[in-house]
Amino acid sequence: MLNEDRIELMTKMAAYESRQGRRDISVHEFFRGDYISFQVLKSALYCTVGFALGVAMYILYDLEGFLTDFYKMDVVEFAKGIATKYAVVLVIYLLASYFVYAYRYSRAKKHMKKYVSQLNELDTMYDWE
Amino acid sequence: MTNLLVFKEQLTGFFSRFETYIIAVLKFFVGLIALLIINANLGYMSKINNGAIVLIVSLLCSFLPMNLIVLLIAAFALLHVYALSLECALIVGFVFVIMFVLYFRFSPGDAVAVILTPICFMLRIPYVVPMALGFMGTPMSCMSVGCGTVAYFMLNYIKENADQIASLSTDAESALGSFKYLIDGLLGSDRMLLFVITFAVVVIAEFMIKSLPVDYSWKIGLGLGAIVNILVILIGCSALEVDMSIGGVFVGTLVSVLIVLIIQFFVFNVDYSRTENVQFEDDEYYYYVKAIPKMSVEAPDVNVTRMGYDEDAVEDLQYFE
Repeated sequence: MLNEDRIELMTKMAAYESRQGRRDISVHEFFRGDYISFQVLKSALYCTVGFALGVAMYILYDLEGFLTDFYKMDVVEFAKGIATKYAVVLVIYLLASYFVYAYRYSRAKKHMKKYVSQLNELDTMYDWE
Repeated sequence: MTNLLVFKEQLTGFFSRFETYIIAVLKFFVGLIALLIINANLGYMSKINNGAIVLIVSLLCSFLPMNLIVLLIAAFALLHVYALSLECALIVGFVFVIMFVLYFRFSPGDAVAVILTPICFMLRIPYVVPMALGFMGTPMSCMSVGCGTVAYFMLNYIKENADQIASLSTDAESALGSFKYLIDGLLGSDRMLLFVITFAVVVIAEFMIKSLPVDYSWKIGLGLGAIVNILVILIGCSALEVDMSIGGVFVGTLVSVLIVLIIQFFVFNVDYSRTENVQFEDDEYYYYVKAIPKMSVEAPDVNVTRMGYDEDAVEDLQYFE
């Protein structure tokens, strides 16, 4: 026989699973530290690509001067300057990533807590039958 | 007010029932408007400056996720710029990638804001987007508004200086120096910097005030957001020596506040529960459930019929009492 309360609960859970739950469940598969580290690593890759394009634009900005001075310039000093800037940008970008993804993890965890309590409720309903 | 609430409920009910189709139609129109604006302002590539192509791509947009629509529109703009000048397309492409690096990592859910910001700039009400995102988004939403602002100013610069940019490409001797000219023009605008800073401050300030545990926090947030918007622009204008119409800023902010109030009425604190089509199973059954949300405010279905009101009959009734 159909149990209306159970169907209502299962519908709510299925609706959550098909939307926000899909993302939350994939986040919840990780431990907090693993999830944040993985996302921060991904951010580092994104940041490196962005910074490389920024450097390319910086060189293109004065390409004529750069080509003229290339043989006269101290390449090590130039590379050091770029590396310092890269380190500063990377630290800022990664700090921002850390806070954003820590917040997203805690939000997903909160949603999942509610979802797990619904699962327990469903389990209790089955036990009663 | 009751009529407005009933209208809101009817609208919510309509939206929740036909959500799939309405979203597809909205995406189609967002894509169509964005592509038509790009074609009208930058239509340098004749192959894609074509009504049929625009229609096909817009139809495609109605089925795609919003972030892919953003990429598609960016590619469309980039192709037009490429037809004008390879060097310019290279710089615009670089800037787009850098913006995507920021946008996709921090606020990938605000694709609509990225598309709507340039459109609102053209309608001269750019303050709507940061003010609306202040209470609908997160502090990171300032990234998406910033990306939309930079995209608008770059494309506007290309439109206004198309002849000079095209001549740079034909002159091989100045090709090396052309990048300096292009980067200065595309990214060196103080006006653009002013708007990016202002919008970021407005989004963050409004979000922080809205999150305070006080009554009417979102209304206070909107009011203070408007004041912050005007103040930052005024201070920025004098600091960066940008020439802007102060009256225009006041009127634009006021109109934006009114639009955001309307958006808030329809969006804020409303349970936009929608029709859910879900499937699941247990040991005994397979369930195919369609859950339709109930309406909380009943639309009045009043039908007044005059039944021939007779004063004598009322007097007779009083006599019997």
